[in-house]
Amino acid sequence: MLSAIIRRLIHMIAVLFGISVLVFLIFFATPGANPAARIAGRNASPQTIARVERQFGLNKPLPVQYGLMMKKLFITQNLTSFVNLGEKVVPQVFRAAPITLSLVTGAAVIWIGFAVLIGLLAAAFRDTLIDRILMILSLIGISMPVFWVATMANLITQGQFHHSWLFSWVPPLGYVPFNTSPLGWFKALIIPWFTLAILYIGLYARVLRAALIETMQEDYIRTARAKGLSERQVLMHHALRSAMIGIVTLFGLDFGALVGGGALLTEVVFGLQGIGYLTYQALETLDLPMILATVIYASVFVVMSNAVVDILYAVIDPRARQAR
Amino acid sequence: MTEVKQRPAQGYWALALRKLMRNRSAMISVLVLVLIVLSCLSAPWYAKYVSHTNPFQSNLSGTIMRHGHAVEVLGAADNPLKLGIEPIGPSGRLGPYMLGADQQGRDVAARLLYGGQNSLLISSIAAIITLILAGLTGIIAGFFGGFIDAAITWALDALWAFPVFLLAISLSVVLIAHGLDIGPLRLDASSLALPISIIGIIYVPYVARPIRATVLTLRQSEFVLAAIGIGASPWRIVWRDILPNVISTIIVFAPLIIALNLLTEAALSFLSIGVQAPAASWGTIIHDGESLIYTRPLVAIAPGLLIVVTVIALNILGDGLRDALDPRAKLRL
Amino acid sequence: MIKRILLLALLLAGMATAQAAPAGYGGTLRMVTVSASGTFDPQVNYTLRYAQLFQMLYDGLVTFAKTGGPKSVTIVPDLATAVPVPTDHGLTYQFTLRTGVKFSNGQPVTTAAVVHSFRRLFKVNSPNAGTWYDVIVGGRRCLAHPRSCKLQGLVVDPATNSITFHLRHPDAEFLDQLALAFAAILPVNTPDHNMGTRPVPGTGTYMVKSYDPSTGLVMVRNPYFHQWSALAQPKGFPSVITYRFGLSAESQVTAVENGQYDWMYEDVPADRLNEIATKYTKQVHITPTNWTLYVPMNVNIPPFNNKDARLAVEYAMNRESTVKLAGGNRLAIPTCITLPPKMPGYSAYCPFTKNPGKHWSAPNWRLARHYMKKSGMIGQKVTVITSLQAPYRQIGVYTQDVLNRLGFKASVKAISPNIDFTYIQNTNNHVQISITDWAQDYPAPSDFLNVLYSCNSFHKGSDSSINISGFCDPAIDAEMSKAELFSLKHPNQADAMWSHIDHQITRRAVAVNLFSFERLDFVSARLRNFQFSGEFFFLPQLAKIKP
Repeated sequence: MLSAIIRRLIHMIAVLFGISVLVFLIFFATPGANPAARIAGRNASPQTIARVERQFGLNKPLPVQYGLMMKKLFITQNLTSFVNLGEKVVPQVFRAAPITLSLVTGAAVIWIGFAVLIGLLAAAFRDTLIDRILMILSLIGISMPVFWVATMANLITQGQFHHSWLFSWVPPLGYVPFNTSPLGWFKALIIPWFTLAILYIGLYARVLRAALIETMQEDYIRTARAKGLSERQVLMHHALRSAMIGIVTLFGLDFGALVGGGALLTEVVFGLQGIGYLTYQALETLDLPMILATVIYASVFVVMSNAVVDILYAVIDPRARQAR
Repeated sequence: MTEVKQRPAQGYWALALRKLMRNRSAMISVLVLVLIVLSCLSAPWYAKYVSHTNPFQSNLSGTIMRHGHAVEVLGAADNPLKLGIEPIGPSGRLGPYMLGADQQGRDVAARLLYGGQNSLLISSIAAIITLILAGLTGIIAGFFGGFIDAAITWALDALWAFPVFLLAISLSVVLIAHGLDIGPLRLDASSLALPISIIGIIYVPYVARPIRATVLTLRQSEFVLAAIGIGASPWRIVWRDILPNVISTIIVFAPLIIALNLLTEAALSFLSIGVQAPAASWGTIIHDGESLIYTRPLVAIAPGLLIVVTVIALNILGDGLRDALDPRAKLRL
Repeated sequence: MIKRILLLALLLAGMATAQAAPAGYGGTLRMVTVSASGTFDPQVNYTLRYAQLFQMLYDGLVTFAKTGGPKSVTIVPDLATAVPVPTDHGLTYQFTLRTGVKFSNGQPVTTAAVVHSFRRLFKVNSPNAGTWYDVIVGGRRCLAHPRSCKLQGLVVDPATNSITFHLRHPDAEFLDQLALAFAAILPVNTPDHNMGTRPVPGTGTYMVKSYDPSTGLVMVRNPYFHQWSALAQPKGFPSVITYRFGLSAESQVTAVENGQYDWMYEDVPADRLNEIATKYTKQVHITPTNWTLYVPMNVNIPPFNNKDARLAVEYAMNRESTVKLAGGNRLAIPTCITLPPKMPGYSAYCPFTKNPGKHWSAPNWRLARHYMKKSGMIGQKVTVITSLQAPYRQIGVYTQDVLNRLGFKASVKAISPNIDFTYIQNTNNHVQISITDWAQDYPAPSDFLNVLYSCNSFHKGSDSSINISGFCDPAIDAEMSKAELFSLKHPNQADAMWSHIDHQITRRAVAVNLFSFERLDFVSARLRNFQFSGEFFFLPQLAKIKP
């Protein structure tokens, strides 16, 4: 087990290394990405640009530049932005993290709650009209582009209906920190939460329903029924518990990806300055240090959640351990 | 992850097809898809005989007859400051500017049909690329194991965690003036190759992983072990025993990946990395509509609805295929 | 009786409010923008967004008058007591430093601070160190060896507070360049490196209390400030000015409408114009600017190395259509020449239109097709490069359409605005035609013509080669130097020379000039006394906040 974990760790570091090198190479292969002219300002003389290049070490060989940047990012942690000179990137990432965490956690609570509800209802009323309607709604949920839903939500709540009684409570776009105003925090996030959750509600409800129906045919459920437990009790106490195992692994992967910045489009459309927004802005301004910091932060989460899920799988299912 | 342990029997495909044909919702979605594809293919006809405009040409200073008098396609907004320009709104009936004009004075309805062609083409070709690449890597990794498996797993993990948008933005800049030469392949910036290649690559890990897992289990199964025992060549084993089992997984994945690709294409276009103007896709039309959302919201709403309908139909079809081919599979959507 | 009491009460009430806020001082002005704008070092930052702040935080020896209207482009003495007339055939400028002025950290402004600030320009790699300030004797050496920079051409006498600049050659724009934030006087102990996010103390009416590139900044009154010249550095009306970063333009409009912010930096998105013009008519201010949108054509590579091909494009482009893409006639004025209407030396001229004369009227497709045929470039591939922003992207699409109608095989590529500007400049990228813009640094015709079309502005293979067309004609260069020398002595006659040069370059068809922008400012209902400077745009310190 321990050696498996160590192997997993080495694999993780290798993946992170590969990603950071790729990001670095892509950046320098992009014409017009060289930051020297942009740092120097418009119409700077060639001498000035050459001096800026020297000052930022942009004239050094790429492997040296890569090494220096990684050292500044991980060891001294004083890597600064190419755009807002002097701005340290690591604290920026950690400042954006709580915003993303607020968004994703709230959405996760909503999606798990609704998905369990819908999944249970659909399984309980299997093959009835209720089941059909719920499953069609879930399908619609997973079939809408997230940014489009977000745009539509903004159109309705910030546009012409903003002054109607229904949406007059909606605050302007942007984040309100929890310790500034808990109510403001809640009001600012409630629409983004639901927007982000819709996709996962649909997805998880479908998966849960399938898992529940499958479990209900297992032997031990039949035994439970035979013991005289009501159908509802069987569903709630026995079937749901085992069906949730599949959901938990799914949840690990999705939550990790979202916390790492996977909610980029939601954050951008709603103006929430989380990790995704930071990544988006860094890409827009081609700020290599910021891109590296956010990308590595994101990949840590994705790779870690993958690893956790794999290990969980190995614990649950011995066959997978053998396959590894 | 699949439980298939044996080579599919002879009547397997025929049986699956019959099962699918009996699935009413799957058949309805096939109908819907055929309808969408046909109407998109009718785009040139629509542009010529119904909208009477070229949807790829700017029409900034043109006029059109409405209610008996000439109206500017792009007219000054009616306000005290004479501020802003508004494209002509939907006419509401079959004819020119049925759904109104966009910022360049082009017919939105005609662009939607042409855009559908591109969106569907991109999603389908990208899906084919994804499935072929995923099939190859999944089978090779699962069957040969060892170092090859480790290397492929590493590459897949790195790709999965890699920021798609960075890749897309950089590639689009590189491709701008130069195009990209990969051996005999030439990627031209103005073609659809850019979105196709980006979208085609990013979902490879998503499909390759379950295929690898399937192959791993198959590799341990009795009939493969027996084949190895009698000295069959590995290629023969892959061809005769493994591929047929993997194919059903790939077929089940196909509509789902096309659906995912449609959504991804829209997201990339939203970030302005996709089909290049003046060509259109549903995603780029949403993007154009973004800047008209307060005055002409229909420009952004209509392509979104088309995406939703298409993706729903694809997902239902995917469900039907799964039920027919692989009833015990627990595929993640 | 009752009437009289009422009158008295009204009088008293009036007096009370007058006492509480004498002549509109006080309150908080809340500004908002989408993001930070780079380093906060006034000697390095080259963005309008921060120049607008620096003008009330820092002072140079001279400045542009801080007022609205045409007077805002005149140079007035600031930390110097007077604006000097150059002597020694334009080679020497002598100033006297004002006494008794202090920085916001309490340090006095001394001649040593002046010397330090000018040397610092070279040490911090100021963008204009090598294009403007190296005209000072010793500047070239400082550029090559910043660490040992002495700048011999700057001579001061602490006893008499005199400051003398010796130039290598006469420079008609030297005073303009001294009036910008690059030449701000900073404390003598300001570090010799780019200060990045740490604001430097200044002499202006405000000082920065806090600055964070991800959230915004807060400016408060400079405790050491006393007004020495109402034109050079007026005492600001608001007590506090906040600047919030991180709202998209769409959200900014909503927030200003709802009174959450008083002023937004970004342009109002096109689809909100009707809404604000209808519902918030009185909160909209429109002012012309010296800011032009143009389409440079690369005269060194096919197809636009062929003058007939360029002429075809000039005649075919519908200026009125592009104006529509920029929001209509109120926000853009069609043009054919380089200089914008408010610039000295501007004289209306348009050869590329249906009825050639002063103004553009309609595209001339007959001539366009004629030149296209003559050029032999039909069927040639052309790629239009543009930035993703509105209206550039839309104009790019329109340009592609025009090129296709002419017979080119055109495509359009929209790229991130941050890459776009350097990408189109670098000759290695072989850009044929692009959509871009130029805004003045200061109101001098050479800031357009000399910068955009002189041989000196063309650098092969460099990301900084602002002569995007790659146009270089020694005869025109000579005329420009002559005009510049001439403007030192006879500014009015020089204007005629500049306009002649402008028209000459126009006839060479090296770029399609489309229109000059008008700036629309959208302010909150409680903002009064909106003043717009031709140099710094909206002047936040002059705004009065209704309590």
